[in-house]
Amino acid sequence: MHTPSSSIDTFLASSVMILLALSAMVGTSKLMTPYLNNLANRDGDQRFQYLASHMLLATGAPVNWGQMKSTVPTSLGLAKADALMPYELDIDKVSRLNSENIYAVKYSDLWKAFGMKDVSFQIEIKTLFELAIELISNSTQGSQVIYEFEVAAGKSGMPVSASLSSYVALRDFVNKTQSSTSSAGVGRLTIGIPSTLNGTALLLVFARARANPQMVSFNVYAFGHNSESPLPNRTFTRLSPLDYVLNASLSYATVDVLKAQVFTFNYNSSLPEKAQGVQSVEYNVPRLLDASPFVMVVTGVNGSTSFAEWVSYPQVPLQIGADFSQSVAGSRITVHSYVVTMNSANYEVITKWGGLKENV
Amino acid sequence: MFDQKGQIRIIESFLAIAVIFSAVLVSVTFPSSPNLSKEKSLASVGTQALVQLDANGTLGNLILQHDWTSIKTALDILLPVGVSFNVTVYDDAGSVMNSELVQNSNLLGREAVSVQHVCATQTQTVQFFTVRLQLAWNG
Repeated sequence: MHTPSSSIDTFLASSVMILLALSAMVGTSKLMTPYLNNLANRDGDQRFQYLASHMLLATGAPVNWGQMKSTVPTSLGLAKADALMPYELDIDKVSRLNSENIYAVKYSDLWKAFGMKDVSFQIEIKTLFELAIELISNSTQGSQVIYEFEVAAGKSGMPVSASLSSYVALRDFVNKTQSSTSSAGVGRLTIGIPSTLNGTALLLVFARARANPQMVSFNVYAFGHNSESPLPNRTFTRLSPLDYVLNASLSYATVDVLKAQVFTFNYNSSLPEKAQGVQSVEYNVPRLLDASPFVMVVTGVNGSTSFAEWVSYPQVPLQIGADFSQSVAGSRITVHSYVVTMNSANYEVITKWGGLKENV
Repeated sequence: MFDQKGQIRIIESFLAIAVIFSAVLVSVTFPSSPNLSKEKSLASVGTQALVQLDANGTLGNLILQHDWTSIKTALDILLPVGVSFNVTVYDDAGSVMNSELVQNSNLLGREAVSVQHVCATQTQTVQFFTVRLQLAWNG
C-alpha cells in the first residue's frame, strides 16, 4: 500500500516531467519555425523565378496570340514564336499588355491564361535607361525659331554615354538632328522650326548607348510652336499599333489627320493609309530593320487646333497586373528582373510575384 | 517526509529534462541547409546579362579592343540596381586579359557568386575568351 507522501512525490514528479516535456516541445517548435519558414520561402522564391522565366521563354497559346486582335490567350507566354535567342519577346504580345492599346488583354484574362491559381503577378516593361528632355531656350533667328534642349541619359542616377538621334515633327514638317551625351550623360540638341508654322510640335529623341548598340532608349517632348502649350497626348486620337498596323481611333468627328509617320533611331518614313472606318484610320507600318523602338506620330487638326500625338511600338513603358503597393506590410513579394530583346533592342522586364491572399 | 521512490522519480524527471534540452541544443546548433535561392537568382541575372551582351558579338569585340570601360558601362545598364560586379577576362591560354579592374564596387568580404561565359570574336581568326563575372547584392 502506498503512503500519501509517495503519491505526492509521484504526482509532483509526473507534473514536472509533463510540464518540462511540453516546454521543451514549445521551445523546439519556436526555434524550428523560422528554419521551416525559410525552407518554404526558398522554394517559393525559386518557384517564382521559374514562373517568371517560363512567362518570358514560352510563346503561350495560340503561339501568335499577339497578332490576333480579338483572341485572348489560353496559355500565357510572351516569347516570339520564331525567336532566334532566349528572352526575345513578341512585339505584339507586349503591346497588348498596355491598357492604352485598344486590343489590350485584361489582367484577369492573363491571370487565367497563366494558370497558377495561387499566384498573382505584375509585369513592368521599360527601356533599359531613361532619357530626360528639358527645353533650355528659344529665340528667333531670321525665318526660324531656334530651340535648345538638354537631354540627360541615365539609369537610376548613373549617367549613360550615348549617341542621340532626334526628330522634330510639326504638321508636315520634319527635321532630324544628331548629337551625343557626354560621359556625364548630358547632351544638347539645337533645332530650328520655320516661323511661318504654328501648332503642337513633338521632339522625339532616341539614345543609343555607346557600350552596346542594342541598348536604346527614347522619349518624346511636346511643346507649342507659335501656339499655346499642347494638350495631353491621346486627347484627339487613340493610337494602337498591332501586327505592323497602326490604328488611329479619332476622339471627335471633327478631327482631320494630316500625316502619319514612323521614326526609329536611324530612319523615318510616312505611313501609307491601309483602311478608313467610322472615326478611325489604319496605317501600314514598314518593318524597318533598326535596333530601335518605333515611335509613330500622327499630326492633324481639330477645327483651328493643330495637334501632334504619338505612340511607341512596342507600346512601352507599361505596367500590368496585381497592385502590390496595397499589400499588407510584411507580406512577401518576390521581384525578378530580366533583360529582353524586341526588334534587336534591349528592354528591362521587372516581374513581381506574390500569393493571392496578400492582396491582390 | 518524501520516500525514496519519489526521490528517484524526481531524479528521473531531471534526467528526462536534460535529455530533451540536449536534443533541443543539438538541433539548434545543427547546421541548417544553406539558402541558395538568392545566389541562384543572382547567377541567373549575371548569366542573362552576359548572354544579352554577347548576342550580336559585342562582348567579344569589346574584349578584342580592350574596351574595358564599355564593358563596365554595358553591365551597369544591364544589371539591376543594387548589384555589384567584378569582371575578369581570360584568353584561351587562361591568362588574365583585363589590365584594369572592371567593377562597379569592391566585392572584398562580400558573399559573391561567380558565373562564367565563353565568347568569341566575329573576326576571320576567331579568338575565344572566358569571361568570369562575380556578383553580389549591395547591403
